[in-house]
Amino acid sequence: MSFSSMSRSQSSQRSGVMNSASDGQKRRSIIAEDHEWSLALVPLLTTLCLQHIIKHFEEKPILHELQPSFKTYVLQRLPASLPLTITANLISDESYWKRCCEARWGLADISTYDNSWKQMFFERHLQSIIELFIPDTTDTKTVLDVLPLCQNYVKQLRVSQLLPPIKEPSRFDEDDGSESASDMGSDGPSMDHFDFRMLLDKLPNLKELSVVYCVKGCGMNFEWNLFEFTFRDCESLAKALNSCKTLQVFRIHRSKVDDEKCCVIVNHLLDHPSLQELDFSHNHISDRGARAIAKLLNRSQLKTLIVCNNQIRGAGAQALAHALAKNNTLTSLNLRLNRIADEGGQALAQALIKNKTLVNLHLGGNNMTEPAAVALSQALVENCALKSLNLCNNRLGADGGKVLEEGMTHNCTLVECDIRLTDVDQDSEYSICQALHANQIKTKHNHDPSAKV
Amino acid sequence: MHQTEAFAAGEEAEELRPSVESDKKEERILARRLRLAARKEAQTKQRLGEDDLGKEDVKEETRKSQKEVEHRERRMAKLKSDGLELVTNIQVAADARESDRRTELEEGHRLRREKLENEAKSSQEKFEEINRKWTDAKMKQTPLDLRDALSSQQQLCEQIIADKNKLISELQQELKASDDRYVKDLKRQAKDIDLLVERMEEQISTLKKSYREDLHQIENSLDEERRTLLTKHKKKWEHERKDRNEKELKNMMQSLSVMEEYADLLQKLRVQTAEEYNIDKIRMDTEVQKLRMKVQQTKFNCHMNEEKLDYKYEVLKKKEEENAIIKSQLKRKIIRMQDVLNNLKSKLTKQEKQSKAGNQSLSNDYTRISQQYKDMQKKARHFAALDAERLEKLWLMCEDEAKALTHRALETDRVIHEQQLGLEWASPPLPFMERSGAVQQKTFRTATQAAADTLKGEPEGGLDEDTAAGLNKRTVKSILELLCDEMGFLVESKLLMLLSPLEKNEQSLIKLDAIFSAIGIESEKDVYKMAEFFMNYRQHESKYTKDETANGQGESAEELSNLIHTEDLLAALKDFTAQFCRQDVHASHKSSILGLDMRDDSEDAAYWESIANVMPESKLKLWDALDTALNKYHAVLTERTELLMETQNIQQQNSELRQLLHLYTTSKAQ
Repeated sequence: MSFSSMSRSQSSQRSGVMNSASDGQKRRSIIAEDHEWSLALVPLLTTLCLQHIIKHFEEKPILHELQPSFKTYVLQRLPASLPLTITANLISDESYWKRCCEARWGLADISTYDNSWKQMFFERHLQSIIELFIPDTTDTKTVLDVLPLCQNYVKQLRVSQLLPPIKEPSRFDEDDGSESASDMGSDGPSMDHFDFRMLLDKLPNLKELSVVYCVKGCGMNFEWNLFEFTFRDCESLAKALNSCKTLQVFRIHRSKVDDEKCCVIVNHLLDHPSLQELDFSHNHISDRGARAIAKLLNRSQLKTLIVCNNQIRGAGAQALAHALAKNNTLTSLNLRLNRIADEGGQALAQALIKNKTLVNLHLGGNNMTEPAAVALSQALVENCALKSLNLCNNRLGADGGKVLEEGMTHNCTLVECDIRLTDVDQDSEYSICQALHANQIKTKHNHDPSAKV
Repeated sequence: MHQTEAFAAGEEAEELRPSVESDKKEERILARRLRLAARKEAQTKQRLGEDDLGKEDVKEETRKSQKEVEHRERRMAKLKSDGLELVTNIQVAADARESDRRTELEEGHRLRREKLENEAKSSQEKFEEINRKWTDAKMKQTPLDLRDALSSQQQLCEQIIADKNKLISELQQELKASDDRYVKDLKRQAKDIDLLVERMEEQISTLKKSYREDLHQIENSLDEERRTLLTKHKKKWEHERKDRNEKELKNMMQSLSVMEEYADLLQKLRVQTAEEYNIDKIRMDTEVQKLRMKVQQTKFNCHMNEEKLDYKYEVLKKKEEENAIIKSQLKRKIIRMQDVLNNLKSKLTKQEKQSKAGNQSLSNDYTRISQQYKDMQKKARHFAALDAERLEKLWLMCEDEAKALTHRALETDRVIHEQQLGLEWASPPLPFMERSGAVQQKTFRTATQAAADTLKGEPEGGLDEDTAAGLNKRTVKSILELLCDEMGFLVESKLLMLLSPLEKNEQSLIKLDAIFSAIGIESEKDVYKMAEFFMNYRQHESKYTKDETANGQGESAEELSNLIHTEDLLAALKDFTAQFCRQDVHASHKSSILGLDMRDDSEDAAYWESIANVMPESKLKLWDALDTALNKYHAVLTERTELLMETQNIQQQNSELRQLLHLYTTSKAQ
C-alpha cells in the first residue's frame, strides 16, 4: 500500500518534468532543471522497493518471498536493532547475527559457540537476562518472553553471576558489610536466587550449563550474603537439572556447595540419561559429598569428574576409589587440592589396578607421602590404560621417587607424569622422564601408521 | 607431523575433487580440466621415466630435508613442553603455597582450639573460685571483710576479663595477621598472574621467533637442496648434450665418407651404362629398318583388306535394310495376328461362357429329365406291376369264365349226347383244363449260372448245352478260366481283397461275375456267343497266320484255345463287345425298363383259340340240327302249355263263379 503511494509520487514527479517539456513547444526532449541529474543517479525501482521493505521490516517482515539476490541485499542492510520477536525465527543468516553480536558486545570469539553467530547471540542474550535477573523485583515474564524465541538455538548456558533479591534497597545501598552480614544471614528464605526450574525444561537443545552463585564486581559493597547458595536454591536447581534430559555438562563453581547440597544435587542427577561431565570445582565438599558422588559414578554415564579445590579427605577418596574400581565409563578424574592424604592415595591406587578406562588422573596437592607413592608405583605396573598422572605438590620424598621410577620401568602406556615439587631426586626424575619419553615415541609410532592408513 | 598433515590435506583434496557426474556445470568442467592435467602429468612422467637414478637422488635429498623438518619438529615440541612447564610452574607453586597454607591453617586451628580450650578451662576454674568466694562473702558479716572480699572478687573478675581481653586481642592480632596475609596473598597472586601473563607472552614471542627461524631454516635447507639438484641436473644435461654433439659429428663424418664411396660407384655405373646404351642403340636401329619394311607391306595388305571390307559392308548394309523391311512386315503381321488372337480369345471366352451356361442349363435339364425319367420309370414299373396283376386277374377271370363255359358246353354236349341222342359221350382231350393262371414264362439261365456250371465241369449236364457251334464244355471252361486270369483289371481291387480267403473256384466265379457285368454279358446265351466269337476270331486269326506261315497243319480245338494270346484275347473281347454287346445291352436295357416280364402274346392267342375250339365243327352242326328239332318240339310244348293255361283259367273262373254263387246264396239267405 505504502509501496504504491511511493511509486505514485515518483511518477507524479516525472510527469511534472514531462509537462514542463511539452509546454516548451512540444519538443520531445527532456530539459533537466537540475543539471546534475542523470539517469545513472536514479535508483532502480527494485532497490527502492527493497529499501522500503528494510525500512518497514518491523511492521511487515518480507524475506523468504524475495529472490536470493534481493534477500542478501535486504539481510545486509537490516538494522541490528530489530526486535527479536520478528527476527529470531525468521532470519537464519549468519552475517546478520554477526552484526547483531558485534553491535552488542564488540569483539567475540565464536569458536566456543559452535561457530554459530546466532547461537552465540541467543546464548549471551539469555545469559545476560539471567545474570541481571533480580528475584521478586524483576518480572519473570522477561525471561519467559524470550524463551520461545531462543529455545531452539541455545545449547549452552554459562551463567557467571546470579543476583540475590533486594531485601532493603536503601540498606543495600548504604550499609557497610560487617553489620548486615549477621542480619541478612538469618533471613535465608528471602535470599533465594533465580529459579532454574522455569527455564531448563523449556530448552530442548541445552547441553551445557555452568552456574556460579555469586555476584561479580560488587566492589566495596561486598557482603557475605551476596555469595550465599541457599538450600532452597539448591533444591530448585537440582529439580531443574533432573528435568533437563539433554544436559551433558554441568558445572557449578565457587558456590559454597557443601556436603548437604552436594547430596541433594547428586541425588537428583542419579540415572541421568545423558550427563557426561560434572564439575564441582572450588566448593566445600568433604567426605559425605564425595560418597554421594561416588554413588553417582556407577549410576550414570559420567566421563569426566572434576572436584578440585574441595575438602575431600581420606574417607571420601576411599569411597571414590571403591566406585572407580567398578566403573567403566569414567576417563578423567581431577582431585586437585584436596586432602585425601596417604590412605586416599593408596585406595585410589588399588582401584587403578582394577580399572581399565581411566586415562587422566590429577592428584596434585593432596598431602600424599611415600606409602601412596609405593601403592601408585604398583598400580602403574599393572594398569595399562592410564596416560596422564599428575602428582605435583605431594611430599613423596626421595624414596617415593625411587619407587615410582621402578614402577615406571614396567609401564608402557603413561605419557605424562607431573612430579614437580615432590622432593623427588634429580636422578629418578630424569629416569622417569626418559621412560615417559620412550612411551611417547612408542605411542606416536603406534598412532602414525593408523593415521597414514 | 607436518607430513601427516600434508598427507591428510592431500586425502581431503582427493575427496573433494569434483566429479564428472556432478550436477553443477562448473564442477564438471573443472573435473575435466583436472583429468586432462593429470594425463599430461602422467605423460611427462613416462617421458622422464628413463632417468630413474636422478629420481633416487632426489628422494635421498628429500629425506635429508625431511630429517631436518623432523628435527625442527622435535625441537619445537621440546620448546613447547618446556614453555608449558615454565608457565604451569607458577600454578604449581601457587598450589604448593595453598596447600602449605592449608596445613598451616589446620595447625593454627588446632593450636587455637587448644588455646581456647585451655583458656576456657582456666577461666572456668577462676569463675568457680569466684562463685565459691561469693558464698564465703555471704558468710562474712563485717562490712570491712565484705569490702575486702568484694575487692578480691573484683580483682579476680578483672583478672578473668583481662585474660579474656588478652585472648581477644591475641585472636584479633591473629585475624589482622591473616588479613595482612590475605592481602599479601592477593598481592602475590596478582604478581603471579602478572608473571604468568609475562611468561606466556614471552613464551609466545619465543615460540614465534623459533617457528620463524625454523621455517627459515627449513626453507633454506629446501632451497639448498633445490640448488644442488639444479646444478646436478644441469651438469648432467651438459654432459649429455656434449655426448650427443660428438656423436652427431661422428655420424656426419661417417655419412660423408659413405657418400663419397657412393659417388664413385655411381660414376662407374654411369660409364658402363653409357657403353651398353650405345651398343643397344645400333642394334635397335637395324631392327627399326626391318620393321619399317614390314610396316609398308602390312599397310598394303591393310589397304586391300579395307576395300574388301568396304564392299562387304555395303552388301551387309543392303541386306540389313531388307531385313528391316521384312522385320517391319513381320511385326505388322504379328500385330494383326495378335489382334486376331485377342478377338479369338474373347470369342473363346464368350463361347466358353455360353457353353458353360448352356452346359449348366443342359445339365440342369438333364438332372430334371433324369429325375422325370426315374419318376416315369417308377410309374411305369408300378403300372406294369398293376397291369400284370390286372392281367393275371383278368386272365384268371376270363379263364374261369371260359372254363365254365367249356364245362357247360361239354356238359350240355354230354347231356345232349346222353339224353337227347342217347349216345355215349366221350370227353375230348382238354390239356388246358389242368392249368390255371397266366402262361408260365420260360426262364433263361443267367450267364453266371452257366459259367458256374461250366466251371464245375460236370459232363452230364453238358449234352443239351452243346450248341450249334459245336463248342464243347471244356473249351468254354478254358476260355472262361483264361478270361478270369487275364481280365483281372476289370475286377475292382476291393473285391479282390475280399476274395482272397475264398476257394479258387468261388474266386474265379465271383471274378467272372464282375467281368461279365463289366462287359455286359448277362445270359448264358451270351456266354456261348462269346465263346463262339472267340473261336471264330481265333480261327480268323489263325487263318491269317496260316496264310503267313503256310504251315497248314490241323490243330485241335484245345490246342487252339491254349494258343490264345493274352493280347489277342483283349482285342477279341474288344471286338466282341463292339459287335454284340452294345445291341444286347441296349435291348436288355429296353426290356428291363419296359416290362418286368417279357411276355409273347403269340401263345395266348393259340391258348384262347384252343379253349374256343373245344367243340369241333361236327358237333356244332349236330347242335344246330338238334336246335331246330328242339325248337319245333318247344313250339308244340308251348301250345300245350297255353292250352293248359286256358283250362286252368276256366277252371279258376268256374271256382270263382261258384264261390260267388255261394256268396250270393248265403247272403240272400240272410
